[in-house]
Amino acid sequence: MRLPAPSTTRQQLLCAATLGLIFLSAPFPWVQAILHTTLVLALAPRPGKPLPAALWAVAAGWVVEGTLRLYPHMGGTAWADLTLTLLAGGLASRWPLEDLRTWLGRLALLSLLHILLLHGAVRLAAGPHPWGWSWLGVLLSLPLWGWATWRLLHGAQPGRR
Amino acid sequence: MPVRASRWRWNRAGWERLALVLLWLGHGTWVLLGTNPGRHWTRAAGLLSRPSQGLATRWEAWRSSRREAGRTLTTLRAENERLAAELGQLKLAEAKEAPRRVDADAAVHLLGLKQQIPLELKAARVIFTTRPATFGGLILDRGQDLGLVPDQGVLAPEGIVGRLWSVGPTQAKVLPVDAPNASVGVMLMRSRATGVLQGLGSGQAQIRYVSNQEVVQVGEAVLTSGLDRVFPRGLLVGYVAAVVKGELELRVTVNLSAPLDRLGLVLVLPTQPPLEVQPPFVAPDEKPQRKKGTP
Repeated sequence: MRLPAPSTTRQQLLCAATLGLIFLSAPFPWVQAILHTTLVLALAPRPGKPLPAALWAVAAGWVVEGTLRLYPHMGGTAWADLTLTLLAGGLASRWPLEDLRTWLGRLALLSLLHILLLHGAVRLAAGPHPWGWSWLGVLLSLPLWGWATWRLLHGAQPGRR
Repeated sequence: MPVRASRWRWNRAGWERLALVLLWLGHGTWVLLGTNPGRHWTRAAGLLSRPSQGLATRWEAWRSSRREAGRTLTTLRAENERLAAELGQLKLAEAKEAPRRVDADAAVHLLGLKQQIPLELKAARVIFTTRPATFGGLILDRGQDLGLVPDQGVLAPEGIVGRLWSVGPTQAKVLPVDAPNASVGVMLMRSRATGVLQGLGSGQAQIRYVSNQEVVQVGEAVLTSGLDRVFPRGLLVGYVAAVVKGELELRVTVNLSAPLDRLGLVLVLPTQPPLEVQPPFVAPDEKPQRKKGTP
């Protein structure tokens, strides 16, 4: 059963709120990393609308790097976010969502890819850098933020878990 | 076959797709540039400017080599001038030293002659010559002040010169051997024939009173015989230049060996020298006696 896409206004408002939270959660890297992944992989992608999703992803990447103020050459996070958001949007267009389990599995796969691509892109742009454990927090908390985004995007509709 | 219209149009979706591509490519390029993206431009500029830099380097090297060559040429010219000046100074010094060197050589020869003849010889310098004039002679710088008297023989290392004709207080006049009024008792070295040498002028003389029966060869040495009591026996006079048979005697022409025109230093023999003069006996170095038992 194919699920209807969430309303554009609702999705844009959620993206804007998450982007603000990313900016505000700069003192807490784990929280910022989870919010960043949530925005890039779960909230921003929308089937058939790649440009707004790409802009949100790019904004999220630049906000993260700008608030970190660690890298000598920024842009790697934004590029990885852009790529993964486009990939997620493409997946959503090709294989529409059916239930929460599929959603979580797809998010897990995209999170792994996002972690690897993010590391590589930042290494390319800024050179070797310390790699913390926030990626592990993102993966461990995936059921939580995955379920939360599912609920926020698609709401509590009958027949959906 | 009808031409199909392209499906790509500049509609909203196309612009969005282009914006996406540019966004992704721009970010990717920016990431690939990495830290200090200007280094890529620097490297590209360096790569592109390498030919012109090579040309500029060669041009500068050529100019520098030309400058160096010019500097070397200037240095060489200056050195050449300095060496030429030094050469001129050396030639001048050599010209100044030449007479002294000639005198030194003559003195060395005279010293050798003096050691060969064990007589009390006195040295004098020829200060003037009047040989081109009739009955001309040589003027010595010493006279009675050195104890010279007339009829003393005068020698040079190459041969006999003549005899003292007149002696003044500080000068003496020499009658050379080639003067027409000079006569010296001589003998031929090989045939041992004796005769009287009379001057012919111009460094030549003639031997008189040699028997027609004697065999005289051209090139034979002519020595003093000692019979005139002016020169001892055995001093070199000259060499036979020509031999002509006469009715009674041989006419032997002799080239005198002493260079009468360019004499510097001469030796004066004592009066009435002995007939025979033996060279001084020099004892050979004694060999060190070997002691018994030593190898």
